[in-house]
Amino acid sequence: MSFVIASEKIGKIGELYEPKAGINVGALLAGGFIVEQEVSTTEEEKSAKPKYKKAPKE
Amino acid sequence: MATSTYLSSPVVTVNAVDLSDQCTGATVNINYDQLEATSFGDSSRKYVSGLGSHSVTLDFYASFAATETWATLKSLVGTSTNVIVKPTTGADSATNPGLTFTGTFLAALPVVTSLGALGTISVTFNGGVYTSDES
Repeated sequence: MSFVIASEKIGKIGELYEPKAGINVGALLAGGFIVEQEVSTTEEEKSAKPKYKKAPKE
Repeated sequence: MATSTYLSSPVVTVNAVDLSDQCTGATVNINYDQLEATSFGDSSRKYVSGLGSHSVTLDFYASFAATETWATLKSLVGTSTNVIVKPTTGADSATNPGLTFTGTFLAALPVVTSLGALGTISVTFNGGVYTSDES
């Protein structure tokens, strides 16, 4: 789980927030200072490109 | 005699939130228990340092706007957090130390309101580990 800054009171909005030891992350979330950013753990699906066979030369 | 005059630039952060623009006063008490170590043969009392017992009292305007005083403090009551008080906005240095209290406890959140005046919140954080960040 990672966090993104949502208030300029704690940093630049949009940047990732890494809480230092002792910081109450729950209070920052409740106050709207940061938001959770869900990180996908699954690999991106490969694009399903159709495979075409070369036409035989005449 | 050199003194420090606090006009408008001290920095106060609570739980990493910069509340300087809502703060009007800060009282930092750095205390250690004084343990007696005097023994036979001593001609005067001697003491050694015991546990740290620090506190920080901060005076704020009671702003209920988004991401202001109330939003910062409301979820901290009954929990521990970090508080930093610094003389000026400059980088940490020996002449601009960041007085840092890590794991300091907020027991109460008193809101004071009166007719025709700005509301205020005065909070006291107790305990925690004190360090002076100078670099």
